[in-house]
Amino acid sequence: MLKCQQVEQRADALVDGTPLSTRERFSLSMHLLICRHCRRYVRQLRALAAHLRHRAAPTAHDHQVQAVLDRVDHSRQVTDHKRHPG
Amino acid sequence: MANPDLETPEFIERLRAGDRAAFALVVKHYHPRLLGAARTLLQPADAEEAVQDGWIAAHRALPKFEGRSALLTWLTRIVINQARMQLRKGGREVQFDPTEEGGADALAHRFNANGHWQEPPRAWALSGPDALLTRDELQHCLESHITAMPDNQRLALQLRDIQGLDFDDICNILDVSASNVRVLVHRARARLFEMVDRFQETGEC
Repeated sequence: MLKCQQVEQRADALVDGTPLSTRERFSLSMHLLICRHCRRYVRQLRALAAHLRHRAAPTAHDHQVQAVLDRVDHSRQVTDHKRHPG
Repeated sequence: MANPDLETPEFIERLRAGDRAAFALVVKHYHPRLLGAARTLLQPADAEEAVQDGWIAAHRALPKFEGRSALLTWLTRIVINQARMQLRKGGREVQFDPTEEGGADALAHRFNANGHWQEPPRAWALSGPDALLTRDELQHCLESHITAMPDNQRLALQLRDIQGLDFDDICNILDVSASNVRVLVHRARARLFEMVDRFQETGEC
């Protein structure tokens, strides 16, 4: 039987959807069936990970895109000039 | 997670052929993510510089991009390498071997010698108008704890949990083993779990 601390160390696999062997999956399920503390831990860890995902950045503003394009153009001109001076 | 519209073979072909509108679209969708990745290692102004340099390097290398990894993975790798180069100039290095970082599991002290919870997790209010994770004070607290993490944990958390990249992609970006990345992500999550749990109990960061 897994100990709570072992569940805490393996719970990421449940959050990440990592494939587990039948044996690993069975031992985690058995522990979670009888341990409400670990059930709570896994539930809240999932919520935390999902919350972090929502902090993902939106798309860039047009002026940021333009700034990148300008820098890329400038660097290309400099490179071309070095290759074909004058 | 990568934007599927920007990862199709047809779109990649347009990029490789130098299609400016396609490149602009990639910048629009991926610039903030690349900036997020660079900021895990560098101050904001330096991160901006690393990403700009990354775009220039990527634009140059695009005709040779073979699509063996997703475009986003490839770009992130370029930017992280730029950021690590900047760090090295300042005499810093990111160590991806978790055993060398001394950051043990932040929840270890919550278990007794038999491995059972001696201080079990508190119940978080996960739904309703006052749901714990959506409270403004908690966002600031999360922010400061993420900033205070060791570089390698913060970067692993950023790529996995905030940007939603696969472990395989993260290994590819950072050149480290999957088991090391998993340990780093676990430690980062354990830190944040411990922090949120304390916040639930005391209301303090």
